[in-house]
Amino acid sequence: MSKKIAARLLTLGLSLALGTAAAQSPVEVQFWTWYLSPKFDNYIKSTISDFEKANPGISVKWFDKQDSMVQDFISSVNLGSAPDVVNLNIDETAKAAQNGFLRNVDSLTPMASLKSTFYAQPLANFTLGGKVYAYPWYGWLNEGVLLYNPDLMKKAGLTRAPRSMTELLGMAKTIKDKTGAYAWVPALKDPNTASFLGYFYSDGLPIYDAGGKAAFNTAAHAALLQQYVTLFKGGYIPEDAVRKEAFQVATELYPQNKVAMIVGGPQALTRIKDSNPTLYAKTVVTEAPLGKARVQTGGSMGLVVPTASKHPVEAAKLAAFFTSNASQIAFAKVVPVVPTTSAAQRDPLFKRASGGDPIANATSLVGASGRYINPGFKAPGNSDDLYKNLNDNIEAALLGKKTAQAALDDTVTYWNANMKK
Amino acid sequence: MIRSQRPTPGKPPLSGKPKYSLRDTLLSYGFLAPALILLAVFTFYPLAYGSYLGFTEYGGARFGQGLPPKWTGLDNFRTLMADPLFLKSLLNSVKYLIIVPILQLASLAVAVLVNKNLPGMAFFRAAYYVPVVTSISLAAVMWDWVYNKDGTLNWALGAVHLVSKNQMFGWLNNEYTAFWAVMLVTFWRGFGYYMVLYLAGLQGIPAELEEAAVLDGASSWKRFWSITVPMMKPTILLCSLLSTIAALRVLEEVLVLTNGGPLNSTYTALMYVYSKAFQGFDFNYGLASAAGLVVAAVALLLSAVNFRLFRDSSGDGA
Repeated sequence: MSKKIAARLLTLGLSLALGTAAAQSPVEVQFWTWYLSPKFDNYIKSTISDFEKANPGISVKWFDKQDSMVQDFISSVNLGSAPDVVNLNIDETAKAAQNGFLRNVDSLTPMASLKSTFYAQPLANFTLGGKVYAYPWYGWLNEGVLLYNPDLMKKAGLTRAPRSMTELLGMAKTIKDKTGAYAWVPALKDPNTASFLGYFYSDGLPIYDAGGKAAFNTAAHAALLQQYVTLFKGGYIPEDAVRKEAFQVATELYPQNKVAMIVGGPQALTRIKDSNPTLYAKTVVTEAPLGKARVQTGGSMGLVVPTASKHPVEAAKLAAFFTSNASQIAFAKVVPVVPTTSAAQRDPLFKRASGGDPIANATSLVGASGRYINPGFKAPGNSDDLYKNLNDNIEAALLGKKTAQAALDDTVTYWNANMKK
Repeated sequence: MIRSQRPTPGKPPLSGKPKYSLRDTLLSYGFLAPALILLAVFTFYPLAYGSYLGFTEYGGARFGQGLPPKWTGLDNFRTLMADPLFLKSLLNSVKYLIIVPILQLASLAVAVLVNKNLPGMAFFRAAYYVPVVTSISLAAVMWDWVYNKDGTLNWALGAVHLVSKNQMFGWLNNEYTAFWAVMLVTFWRGFGYYMVLYLAGLQGIPAELEEAAVLDGASSWKRFWSITVPMMKPTILLCSLLSTIAALRVLEEVLVLTNGGPLNSTYTALMYVYSKAFQGFDFNYGLASAAGLVVAAVALLLSAVNFRLFRDSSGDGA
């Protein structure tokens, strides 16, 4: 055998060996979550490990992003190192999709499969122009449950919890006057959201007209805002509700016996359990009061696949795995989130518990309600500018700088002049 | 070794610029190169590119679709001038400059005090510096407790009967007090930093000057104005300059304490820049850069004023 043949054989052998190694080396998928570490490290890591076992050709590199999530996302796209699966909320998904950052996931997973896995509304929340841009992940309901401090309710002379928002608004004065504690903390202007629009939706008042223009300035809208303005001016709503997220204010004040009720997701209970275990044990959990339309509002996270992802097929597998019913139920066992998978409604985890632990009660009350996850309105393309304008106007009404009607008129004028669809 | 034409003893100095050999020049630039390269990459290029972006349309949609910035001339500046929020934010930033003389006078006065060689003075020097190294998040929680309706400040005012319970309000929730409350936090955070700079300046003043003045019977007030202040002019210029620029660029305190509210009374120019550049996927780098350029122009103008006011008349200083 000549040297030439030997060299060729050697080259061939090496190529085969390298080729096999390349074929066997797993595809690395970069996965970004949002504010889940360190509290849920165990859950995320074990789910990743299950995924890798089920998909030996794929390895997952996980990062948890916090404040800088969106900026990091944009920078990574710029640098050519985009992540493959990213956890975004409904508003950010809409903006990212409109600006061309996202791949529509119905091109990766058949629409029929998406429709059979998820409830219709949570899927619709991530649908723009007929295309689905995220696999719906864990959700929450804004009304969710009502939890209350029975001692404060008794002191206020109230025998039962409010069953509607009208009753709740009516109780605010009684509770504060008789106990010194606030009745609850409404989400008047949660930072970077349009939380007050949720109250309109709850009462069956439209946000947009048939042509898609902002239309939340009728006399009925103004009357509803005025009710909150009157309570705020009377000192029946904590001042901090104009500056901070209502959930934060409520979970700070409730453990100090300064708020009688919290309307919201059961996740508030986790904080109360940490800060005041005695009050936590006494806390009663019941169904949340609803607005006149008797609907819930809520939101969910989604898992998106960036256009710039180099491994969209593998990314889709990972996203589908994390958002599957089994994974979402496992997550709901760790923290009382609301799964967005339709199979969750039949899960024994959400069978009504009687008595016992408040978190278990709350979980059973809301866990199977994923079908109601609905923000109540579609986020406009330039939501940051428009939400700021809405919140500035709500604040002006609360602080007496504008009438409720003028505040809403000004907002609607601004929205219709500047809204990007 | 750098060789240049130096005046020979006994001969008058040579007029004109000294002449350097090519080797010396190359060697000098060689030594400068590492720093210049770093500055070019991390300062000059971003500065130039950011300035260019101010004259372009470059935001979420163009970026997401991989399109380059589109030249739009002065459009962004016209948009800014027509935006009441930007004008209000710029006005707030200029109003924030009120802190500069207060901060400088207070830190210079305290630097003079802690410059005395009294027992335990090291403790005070360190204590005043602690806020400088305190994380802003921690400071925010602490000041939130102070300014809260049920907070320390209202408690103290109530204890001396300056306000009654039903007159109390959250200092950060009131449009008339929030601005000053945030400014106090800036004062608290910056005070120690400038004090240390002044302290360093004070320790550079020759002791003989003070001693001579004491022998001449000068009062401490006279010594302060006739020796300390003139000798400290370069340090005063530096501190005033830094403090002016910092006041125009104030952002962190606002973000963590008020987010610009209530009623945009604490919304500063940098907050505007920040919100336009980093508002999720709908960012607008063009408009943010233009706003940044306006802030930079104001900062340059005020820096010139500082130089004019505090320039060392001897010509040797900064």
